[in-house]
Amino acid sequence: MPEVTLAARSPLATVSAYAAPGISIFEDGNFTLTQVAGFGRGFEKPLAEAVGKLPLKVGIANSTDAFTVMRIAPQQFWCMGDHASAGLPSECLVTPLSSSRCRIKIEGEKARILLSRCAAVDFDERSFKPGHFVMTGIHHTPVLIHCIEAHAFHLYAMRTFALGVWEWLVDAAGGLNHE
Amino acid sequence: MTAFKRLDKGGRIDRSKTIAFTYDGARLFGHGGDTLASALLANGKTLVGRSFKYHRPRGFLSAGIEEPNGLFTMGEGARQEPNIPGTMLPLAEGLSAKSQNAWPSPSFDLMAVNGLAGPLFGAGFYYKTFIGPFKKSWMFYEPFIRRAAGLGKASETLDTARHDAQYGFFDCVVVGAGPAGLAAALVAGRAGAKVLLAEQDSELGGSLLSESSATLERWRMDAVSELQSLANVTTLVRATAQGLYDGSQITIAEHKSNGMLFHVIRAKTIIIAAGATERPLVFANNDRPGIMLASAVKTYLNRFALVPKSRAVVATNNDSAYETAFGLAEAGVAVTVAELRPSPTGDMLAQAAALGIAIFPNTGIADTAGDKQLRQVKLAGRHSVTIDCDVLAVSGGWSPNVHLTSHCGIKAKYDAKIAAFVPGGFAESHFGAGACLGHFGLLAAVRDGESAALAALARRGFTKKPKPVELPSVREDRPYHIGTGPRLSDIAKPAKAFIDFQHDVTAKDIMIAHEEGFHSVEHMKRYTTLGMATDQGKTSNVNAIAIMADLRGIDAGTAGTTTFRPPYSPLTIGALAGRSVGKHFRPVRRSPLHDWHANNGATFIEAGLWLRAWYYAWAGSTPEDAYIKEMELVRKGVGLADVSTLGKIDVQGPDAAEFLNRVYVNGFAKLPVGKARYGVMLNDDGVVLDDGTTSRISDTQFYLTTTTAQAGEVMSWLEYLLQCHWPELKVHVASLTDEFGGMAVSGPKSREALQLALPGIDVSNEALPYMGVKDVPFGGTTLRLMRLSFSGELAYEVHCPANFAISLWEHILTAAEPLDIKPYGLEALASLRIEKGHVAGLELDHRNTLDDLGLGKMAAKEKPFIGKELRLREKYQAPERWSLMGLELLEPEKKLRGGSILFAASDEIKGHGRGYITSVTWSTELDKFIALGLYQGGLKHEGEEIIAAFPLKDEQVRLKLVSPHFIDRQGVRLHA
Repeated sequence: MPEVTLAARSPLATVSAYAAPGISIFEDGNFTLTQVAGFGRGFEKPLAEAVGKLPLKVGIANSTDAFTVMRIAPQQFWCMGDHASAGLPSECLVTPLSSSRCRIKIEGEKARILLSRCAAVDFDERSFKPGHFVMTGIHHTPVLIHCIEAHAFHLYAMRTFALGVWEWLVDAAGGLNHE
Repeated sequence: MTAFKRLDKGGRIDRSKTIAFTYDGARLFGHGGDTLASALLANGKTLVGRSFKYHRPRGFLSAGIEEPNGLFTMGEGARQEPNIPGTMLPLAEGLSAKSQNAWPSPSFDLMAVNGLAGPLFGAGFYYKTFIGPFKKSWMFYEPFIRRAAGLGKASETLDTARHDAQYGFFDCVVVGAGPAGLAAALVAGRAGAKVLLAEQDSELGGSLLSESSATLERWRMDAVSELQSLANVTTLVRATAQGLYDGSQITIAEHKSNGMLFHVIRAKTIIIAAGATERPLVFANNDRPGIMLASAVKTYLNRFALVPKSRAVVATNNDSAYETAFGLAEAGVAVTVAELRPSPTGDMLAQAAALGIAIFPNTGIADTAGDKQLRQVKLAGRHSVTIDCDVLAVSGGWSPNVHLTSHCGIKAKYDAKIAAFVPGGFAESHFGAGACLGHFGLLAAVRDGESAALAALARRGFTKKPKPVELPSVREDRPYHIGTGPRLSDIAKPAKAFIDFQHDVTAKDIMIAHEEGFHSVEHMKRYTTLGMATDQGKTSNVNAIAIMADLRGIDAGTAGTTTFRPPYSPLTIGALAGRSVGKHFRPVRRSPLHDWHANNGATFIEAGLWLRAWYYAWAGSTPEDAYIKEMELVRKGVGLADVSTLGKIDVQGPDAAEFLNRVYVNGFAKLPVGKARYGVMLNDDGVVLDDGTTSRISDTQFYLTTTTAQAGEVMSWLEYLLQCHWPELKVHVASLTDEFGGMAVSGPKSREALQLALPGIDVSNEALPYMGVKDVPFGGTTLRLMRLSFSGELAYEVHCPANFAISLWEHILTAAEPLDIKPYGLEALASLRIEKGHVAGLELDHRNTLDDLGLGKMAAKEKPFIGKELRLREKYQAPERWSLMGLELLEPEKKLRGGSILFAASDEIKGHGRGYITSVTWSTELDKFIALGLYQGGLKHEGEEIIAAFPLKDEQVRLKLVSPHFIDRQGVRLHA
């Protein structure tokens, strides 16, 4: 039997990107997500050496060329970047989550309004700035929303709910364009 | 016959814009800036509906949100919406309105015959009239009453309007854009605060829109212009504040072109500038079309350029109605004022005289005459004259809109000086301004707004001193003076003196309630239905309280008010549901293999939020046919099932083994790496919470699986235990349910199938024995192979990162095709486990103990675990508890149904029986229906014949109680 290579497939494989004046929504896949946890402060120093400066509080993401690191709980981080789990210090408890989330990019001048139609979070530019992230819910499912530019966001939806979240977002965007 | 005529100039209407609309099928025309109400009045439609109980002719009472009479059914078909006040609806091209509560039309309503039976419909008539003469009389009458009751009719077609919700966060929310609200928003906006100004009208300005003064209009326009230029200020029109809640959350319903946008807002401060509502006067026949609130007549005059045709009477107990009288007189209308007080205050007498207005002091209204429209007013008191007129403008004083503070649980308090209730206080960071505080002057409102905003800014720590608000250059406010409220003794003919116009509650009804002991305002409300219609008593509440107080010989403050609750004005269910309708009604959860199932003949079934493959087309077109074939596939060959929905949890840390040892009833501390173990966990009440297999991946890492249904609860439970009970344990848990796809390869040929699919990976009994686990690299990722069986056959579970699940699934099906491998669905999966006697969600219902499920022997004796002590409670150990049993059908021609109630053969078939059936299947091995169930005393009764009753279908069948393990009790197949 020839060597088998398993192909990756997104839960959003059946949808097309959405674009309308002031808003575009598309899947921004191909990312590596690793949850790293530990105990006390002991694991944070070597972790920082591996992935870069760690954010001090939940809600802030630090990005370098190689990694984006988010503190998602007092002793838990999400690390995004190629081969994020490689070379992590032994003190770290590593859980791969790349398949568990679907990353959707929302951008455009109406992106903040769209998000405010979906989640009970203050998405005002003065409150939610590039580098900020929030863990909240959309359509009753948990999501993490990361502001990557003034009018661009990454939304991490749970894989098994991703299609529903996508449809919810696109439906909300459609409404914006009818007002 | 028309009561009003349109002036050639003036008002806020755009005469250059003609708008066509239909009313009861007739094509009519209005102008830009009209409401439906003003356009109908301009078209001579004074009579626009019939009253609720008596079907009396009714016209517009008001020009605002308080309107009790002028309600319409708007739109057609899917967009049909009942009970819309015409006073709040901006006229739009093509708008279609239908009158309500009249057949065939308001002018000729056959149901007006109800008026003849008026005496039957007094307060409490339901309770008195329809209770007897027989015990079940109410059941007989109810459908007729329900058919006759109600106002408009909702469409039964799916609503095509587009409603949505939006969340907002503001430093300051200002409710109401009258002079107080505009001033407040200006000050807060100038200080740099993030401000939301919400106005229920279609323009900003509130009461200013009803003024004729050019000075005030300039002030309004300047304020609006400045607010709209401030980037930090958001203004909304046609947006009504509907509810105020704890945590300074306020909801605002905004009318958009195609539906409602429901704003849910967190406000750091809230300024309530909600204004006040004018009250009608209470006198006989005070409900004829043409009798309107004085403020409404002023609005129709100054905003919509509508004046009574020739003559108007103004009846009042306070000063505010004189502005209406003066305006009408200036517009050329002959005006007579019936003044309930000895005289008006200040300079009004002189001004009235200058305009030729006749004032009758100490004079009320005795009665009115007219058929479908007001024709005459008969004055009471010493000036007992009758006056022909087109319009009677009434003012019984003003009631501050205290609703929003009431939503916060703050009781309104009575202010005798204004004969009305005012807010009893404000929640933290909430402020009031203007008429809603009982400050009825225009300049007072502006000053109030400014003060409230400064207080709100100070509360939020804003240090920037904003530029003060310029006061409009108008004369100082007149002091507000009001006479007494309505007293029953003043009402000559109380029979048809209406208090609540929308629910046809009269002064006599209040009297009846009092006579029959319903003295409390809460009892009065419910007995008479006062204030319970769509207007929620905005014009009736205070008058009713005043009359009841009069009857009781107490003051209105002592009588108190009822509690106002959200929403402030009627909302459709659609507006609250928003987009959560149709396919968005609830989230749907899809397995990583969903697309494959959808493309390959699966029929889906909802299981909680999951959509699961129920059965496949290859096996049959009905579930009954298909699952049996799929079961046979697994029992005789090899099948592939999607088990991705199982809960999967990563448990890591140096104390992971200790943690699981405390969570599960059986031991996990010594589970070797590379092995899995079946475990059961109890909740802290000693009842079974969930079961599943947990595999040891390394010394410090476990892979825990849960049932599909309990995945979320178990995850929360573990987090709770770690955070609250055992924070000293060094353990982290993470959900992997979405990370891993899972598939069960089941059947006697499953090993061969995996050998074909995973060449080079040893899955022999030696390399991967029963309950063995190993991670293997394959196809560019890592697979987790587990020798587990839910079906009772030789079986494996293969888990892999979900991104690769479909590819792996397809690969296994292709590689094992020579073995005739096929997919099997949830129905077969569940049926196979019944034959094996595995418990699942239907048995794990949070009521059963370990012993009930026959798992008592699993509980470790030495180690502690959650629920260990409480599971030993006497009641939980009682020998007659309902315990798990197998059931075999003894009457093959009959059907066995899940949920059937179990009785001993000698029992009378009555009541809750001795147990019930939890799960049923056709057994392909035993060629009969079998079931799992809970039966009193459990295995003590093994071999006995019992009865299963299904009362809904009046069925009874005979069963035999057997062991719950129907096949392979020795586990030979598992270990093959």
